Amino acid sequence: MGRAGISAFVAFAVGLTTLLSLLLGDNPALFGGGPGSEELARRLALPGDVLLRLVVIVLALSIVIGITNLLYVHVGRVARGKLYSAVLLASFAFTIYWYVSRRGDSSLLEAVQVPIESTLASLLFFSLIYGGARVMRRRADIWGLLFVAVVIVVLLGSLPLAELAPLKAWSDWLMAVPVSAGARALLLGIALGTVVAGVRALLGQDRSYRG
Amino acid sequence: MDETTLQVYSVLFVMATVVLVYTARFFQKRPGGRRAQRRLDGLERIAGWTTQSIESNRPLHLAIGGSAIGADKTPAALAEAELFHQIIKRADAGDIAPILSTSTPVMIPLGQGTLRRAWHKGDGASRVIWYPQNLSYASAIAASMAGDKPAAHIMAGGFGVELALMLDGADRQGQPSLAVSDRLDGQAVAYALADHVLIGEELFVASGAVSEEGSGHSDAAVLDVWRGLIILGATLLLLLEFSKQLPLLTWQLAAAGAAVLIVLGAVMYRRR
Repeated sequence: MGRAGISAFVAFAVGLTTLLSLLLGDNPALFGGGPGSEELARRLALPGDVLLRLVVIVLALSIVIGITNLLYVHVGRVARGKLYSAVLLASFAFTIYWYVSRRGDSSLLEAVQVPIESTLASLLFFSLIYGGARVMRRRADIWGLLFVAVVIVVLLGSLPLAELAPLKAWSDWLMAVPVSAGARALLLGIALGTVVAGVRALLGQDRSYRG
Repeated sequence: MDETTLQVYSVLFVMATVVLVYTARFFQKRPGGRRAQRRLDGLERIAGWTTQSIESNRPLHLAIGGSAIGADKTPAALAEAELFHQIIKRADAGDIAPILSTSTPVMIPLGQGTLRRAWHKGDGASRVIWYPQNLSYASAIAASMAGDKPAAHIMAGGFGVELALMLDGADRQGQPSLAVSDRLDGQAVAYALADHVLIGEELFVASGAVSEEGSGHSDAAVLDVWRGLIILGATLLLLLEFSKQLPLLTWQLAAAGAAVLIVLGAVMYRRR
């Protein structure tokens, strides 16, 4: 068995153990609810719990990987003369220096990061409005028209004006029936795809495990 | 529905999917049994963008966004990695590796592994870029568009409304884009702003459509089967509900209507 085969086998074993542990564990009723069923259900749940805790530890460590990657990529870019990367590295070093020298003072985050993110959030509003207006240029068909019409009705319906009360009813109906149905259909499609992709990973067919 | 019943149904559903996956692969491997996957406009552009990337020596930008392994979106993250593997493999004839960006650090090793397997001219480690979540990620990517000048942006992953900043930036730079998100808000933004869009489960069949491998096609067939069954079930339930409310509509009439709908659907599907 080659490296790919071993990887696929480990992925299959761990995946199946976790799946069975999550599906069958912690529910004594599945085993008839008799005297030994509680202990059996608890034991079945244990491997899944242990593996999921290991995942949490690995996820917590991944931020170190992220920072290392950020520095690695931008040091390389600075060497190629990229100014923005130099600004990023300088900001990174200054933030750490500030935080350490001021003994945990996070005012830099509150004074710089938060206002910048708020500004971006407001810019996002204009991007979305611009995008909505651009739909008719890109998709000049019935679906594009429907999209823009629904956006307009919902936006106008949310205004607190008595003259627009009929639109409010339309807006509520749109949100409660067609929009909700469409959203559920989308989520259902994603859920089905998730199951098939999960089975693929469970069977060791996924390329990430095959090396 | 109590918890035990739910668990039993879950086990049965997973087992039925396993059986369907193997059955579809069996038929896919038979001579003449290969099933053509339905055409998706956005995915058909990828070949052209890859060629453009190779000829103009400009990278493709592949964005995973907030998808991550280790969370509930793990299968989606794996499906995205598979799609990107197929795209990078196509771009391998060029001299410049695609840029793979993510906002979750746990995806960096997966991204680097994907690049290593599909890109054979160097390790490509510096082509995987991480920026912190949401707005910081979106603004960093939008800012780097002018410098990196990607040939195209393929954004498949977990995105929220911040996707608007990236797609707007791509549009301003005249760079084409394909977007799909496993979040509803991101999907709406993708529909409004991207040049091409995939919707819902199309993300999971994308790698099969881009690649020549049969396993992706058979997974798409399994998805089609499940989707067809759900549509059928929902239609039947709807008709039965109608039959209770309308005196003229009996359940026999509803069943006949459903049968006609199924036959019509099957005929239209075969023709397509």
